[in-house]
Amino acid sequence: MAKAKVSQVKDQRGFYCVSLVLMTILAIFCVIPFILMISVSFSSETALSQGYKFIPQEFSLSAYRYLWLKRATIFRAYGLTILITVVGTGANLILTSLFAYPLSRKDFKYRNVFAFILFFTCLFNGGMTASYIVWTRLFHVKDTIWAYLLPGALMGALNVLMVRNYYNANIPYAIIEAARIDGANDLRIYTGIMLPLSKPVLTTIGLFAALGYWNNWTNGLYYITDSKLYTIQVYLKKLMDSIQFLKTSDLATESAMLAAQSLPTESARMAIAIIALLPILCVYPAIQGELIKGMVVGGVKG
Amino acid sequence: MPPKAVPAAAEYNDVLAQRKKAKRAEERRRNRPLYLFMLPGLLYLIANNYIPMFGILIAFKKINFAKGILASPWCGLDNFKYLFVTKDAFVMIRNTLAYNAGWIVLDLVLAVFIAILMAEIATGRAAKVIQPVICFPSMVSAVLLSFIVYAFLSTSYGFLNTAFFKDKPINWYASAKYWPVILTIVHVWQNAGQSSIIYMASIGGIDKSLYESARLDGASKWKQIVHITLPMLRPMIILMLLMSIGRIFNSDFGLFYQVPLNSGLLISTTQTIDTYVYRALMQLNNVSMSSAASVFQAVIGFVLVMLSNLMVRIVEPDNALF
Repeated sequence: MAKAKVSQVKDQRGFYCVSLVLMTILAIFCVIPFILMISVSFSSETALSQGYKFIPQEFSLSAYRYLWLKRATIFRAYGLTILITVVGTGANLILTSLFAYPLSRKDFKYRNVFAFILFFTCLFNGGMTASYIVWTRLFHVKDTIWAYLLPGALMGALNVLMVRNYYNANIPYAIIEAARIDGANDLRIYTGIMLPLSKPVLTTIGLFAALGYWNNWTNGLYYITDSKLYTIQVYLKKLMDSIQFLKTSDLATESAMLAAQSLPTESARMAIAIIALLPILCVYPAIQGELIKGMVVGGVKG
Repeated sequence: MPPKAVPAAAEYNDVLAQRKKAKRAEERRRNRPLYLFMLPGLLYLIANNYIPMFGILIAFKKINFAKGILASPWCGLDNFKYLFVTKDAFVMIRNTLAYNAGWIVLDLVLAVFIAILMAEIATGRAAKVIQPVICFPSMVSAVLLSFIVYAFLSTSYGFLNTAFFKDKPINWYASAKYWPVILTIVHVWQNAGQSSIIYMASIGGIDKSLYESARLDGASKWKQIVHITLPMLRPMIILMLLMSIGRIFNSDFGLFYQVPLNSGLLISTTQTIDTYVYRALMQLNNVSMSSAASVFQAVIGFVLVMLSNLMVRIVEPDNALF
């Protein structure tokens, strides 16, 4: 009996250790590519011509100096991305919470009809081509800032339903009744009760919306041709395009062609990519708990 | 027992009806401001979702933008016929289904595996670092992903060629045969951590006393996993499987378009329905083919989502979407 206990303890310890080792390896596997990026951005061009390494062979800040020279373009794209992220996230939260309020009101006669109108958009869509034609030919968002804010990005049906469920589960109807008896109108109830009490769910949705706007590049791909309207992601995409011809060229011509074009150097391109990643990297430790919670909820119903 | 109708009740009924009417009027008055709340969202749904649904018509028309969409002549199923006789259609459908089918299984196995390991170390301090780290790759946009992949695969500077294939560098962006493996690695790298979260939460919800009594009975860790953890995860596994089957005609556009850098030489292994829809529309200016493919995807997607939800309703009624 005692022997069995001992072996069991060993078994447990062993399993714990194996798990820890495997998970650590996995975590390293997740981090390594970023290290390569950072290393490249801090390497000198001569060192890079020997190939990308995980540790800079010759430390250099030339890539970041190049960014500083190009700051007009980069800051412009950066500023635009921030603007779109802030405005888009704000608008998203307002639309989502506004729509969820009537759906949560049990005395609202057509709440199920509207919930269905909303939910049906999750089941069926007209396809990307139809969407593109509607946004460009009917609403003319091409080459305007609206192209980043509107198509497909503003209000997600599942988010609205999530907020409605949150209202239903956490804000008793009696509170709303009481407020109304005290003479509060719906707007007052929404701003004074619903919004403050649903902060947790709105925070989660807001974080995902912000991440979505920051990372969005497909709307730029479809709707933006004016380089003044490039966000940082679209700018990066276009940078990649400009060296696209390289991928078919053979080894000998690649570096020659790179030199011939006055494109940002290898390290500078990585530096721009890191600049685009930086805000996410900075806020991630603080928001990861919220995001992970959101993934659990969104994973099942989404 | 219902009360007997007496003649005097007619008057009473009148009063009742009046009251009901007043109540309904009151309800309508109360409901009125609620429509205003929904107005912005409704307008958005109409613009973003409902008008494009009518855009499906485009797939059944011989589009002539000079005449306008509505005035363009109908052509029945011609667009679909033209699409499906091309080799493109076969390649994109094969790729979409093959990648999805493989990845559904792979993702599931990896996610459950990671979740079990993660649950084991969840109480330790290391987990507080490891969990966010393995989820971080899912925060990265496809454009950034393409930079990261390029750092590994660039022909002359890439880490792989300079570290392992120095003598005989491989032109990765021109060799289609490598891409099923490359895309799978990239996909797993980006999604494995995130997709394990849901199973981790499920394991966290399993009654601890089950493990306690198994341990008292002398069950090894392995036996506990096989006989407790996995059976308890079964409903969630089935649910996630069915939901991914509902999305089997969809693909991650960024992964298939931007990570291979839109390379024409890789089409045979990187073209999916989503990338075809984009390329036909924006690069070939072929609205008919693009809309035929996108309508095909939308309609099949709709049918599959309905079917998978039906299945969920049968096996896991609590988790059905509707």
